[in-house]
Amino acid sequence: MMNKKHKEIVIDPSIGIIVVFIILVIIFSLLSSNFLTLSTWIGILNIASELATVTIVVAFLMISGEFDLSVGAVYAMSGMLLAYSLNKGINGVFSMLIILVFAFIVGTVNGLIATKVKIPSFIATLGMMMSLRGFLLIASGGFPIGYKGDSILPNILNGKCIGDLRISTVWLLLFLILFTIVLDKTKYGNWVYASGGNPKIAKTMGVEVAKVKRINFILTAVFAAIAGGFSFGRFGMSYPTLGEGLELEAIASTVIGGCYMAGGYGSVLGAFFGALTIASLRVGLVLAGAPAYWYKAFIGIILIIGMIVNKRVMKNLLKIEV
Amino acid sequence: MEKKPLLKIVNVSKNYGQVKALKNINLKIYPSEVVGLIGDNGAGKSTLIKMIMGDLQRDKGKIFFKDKEVNFSSSAEARALGIETVPQGSSTIEFMDITRNLFLGKELIKKVGFFELLDKKRMSEESLKVIANLGTTGIRSAWDKVSALSGGQRQAVSIGRLMYFKSSLALLDEPTLNLSVRESEKVVSLINNMKKAGTAVIFVTHNVYHVYPVADRFILLDRGEMIGIFDKKDVKPEDVIEMIRTGTIKNKKLCFSKEGVQ
Repeated sequence: MMNKKHKEIVIDPSIGIIVVFIILVIIFSLLSSNFLTLSTWIGILNIASELATVTIVVAFLMISGEFDLSVGAVYAMSGMLLAYSLNKGINGVFSMLIILVFAFIVGTVNGLIATKVKIPSFIATLGMMMSLRGFLLIASGGFPIGYKGDSILPNILNGKCIGDLRISTVWLLLFLILFTIVLDKTKYGNWVYASGGNPKIAKTMGVEVAKVKRINFILTAVFAAIAGGFSFGRFGMSYPTLGEGLELEAIASTVIGGCYMAGGYGSVLGAFFGALTIASLRVGLVLAGAPAYWYKAFIGIILIIGMIVNKRVMKNLLKIEV
Repeated sequence: MEKKPLLKIVNVSKNYGQVKALKNINLKIYPSEVVGLIGDNGAGKSTLIKMIMGDLQRDKGKIFFKDKEVNFSSSAEARALGIETVPQGSSTIEFMDITRNLFLGKELIKKVGFFELLDKKRMSEESLKVIANLGTTGIRSAWDKVSALSGGQRQAVSIGRLMYFKSSLALLDEPTLNLSVRESEKVVSLINNMKKAGTAVIFVTHNVYHVYPVADRFILLDRGEMIGIFDKKDVKPEDVIEMIRTGTIKNKKLCFSKEGVQ
């Protein structure tokens, strides 16, 4: 019998990670009585907002079938550029404009190399990451840049809003809603799925695959720059090695959040929960008294468990074999 | 009075480096007819289809659609004029549900304030109608992922799309490839429905038995050359297979029995 209901039956790709996240929260709350407190969760959100802002766009890009390894370098470069330009007396609006234009250029170059020259984005953006990192070290001599001025920009980006909760969490929620709507409810979102799902067929159906990918590269770089701004707003300083490994954490969050690495499948909400899981792991381990270096090992374990859960979800609920 | 051709191809050629993929192709396609485009592997069938769609650019020659010369630079332009295709293999994306697949590239939009959002309700209602029109294909919901469908159901969805958008010309590249006997029959009956609805169909295949029941005419390609156009009444399936196998037509009367070189 045909299903007469017109309702979309949603088996969201984020199911797996939400289950993993809840289990993790239960475990940490058993290990430490401080885990389920407001101040802990404010701390988790403050950490998560930077990672999750990057993760959401990395997921968006991954669903369209591409990678971006240069997000960590763009993140660092933007923080440094903001600190530098504010110190030079350039006002907040222009300083912000500088990093957005810089990110726009990086995203455009990444996109053109990947779609016009057709070099796999993994390599193209690896090259971009190394160049930017090298340039950052040359330009800064390896030294951090602090900012002690009175511009309100750091506060707009990431000042405290309610108690210790920083405003980047509010920004993050706005981005989350925005990207969820675009991906799920717009024609562009449909094209993003199609571009990653099968670029050849998508093209035959009239989808401008290369253009979709180029736009997504730009979005990724721009939001990585905004996340860099959050970091600068939080610390009031920046340093050239900031965000090293951020690109891999973002990809890990995206993948445990249910996105399929080859593209065409995933959700922004899942990616958000992926980042939230990693942030709560970081805080939870500290509260449970584990040495700090356990953190990476645990991310590795969660990554693998998350992948297994997602594969099961895809196979059993969606009949997708990957 | 002679009927006006829907599609006219005049002296079209295409080379891949030294390889001549198509040599001086001339043909006319009329409304509401099914033409079997047949030939062995490497005959140039898919090249011809891609060229009509604008996915490949011709080196020489002209293509007219509804009496106007066309130079599509992408299949989106061809689709906008009512030429739809089901490329070889599949034209559906398996991670996406049926509804999103059906409307891919021609999404239904509603305005909410300044924003243009997908009209999901209307899209799913229309998809249900498309599925119902396909007959008993066993598809349960318009929101099923295509990955959960069989090959025949996927092909039915692709053809459902062509019927929904009321294309005037449908180019089907091996639509029965890898399908079971029953699924192939279903696809052939859907093609018959398209014909009744007024769509001209070019059915590319090297399986003569699949196209024979539904075809009005055949066009035979061999290594990039068009070696014959003939009506179904003049040939039996076995004759056609023999022509494909040998690449020659013994009965010279059949070479261009209706539409010849202009």
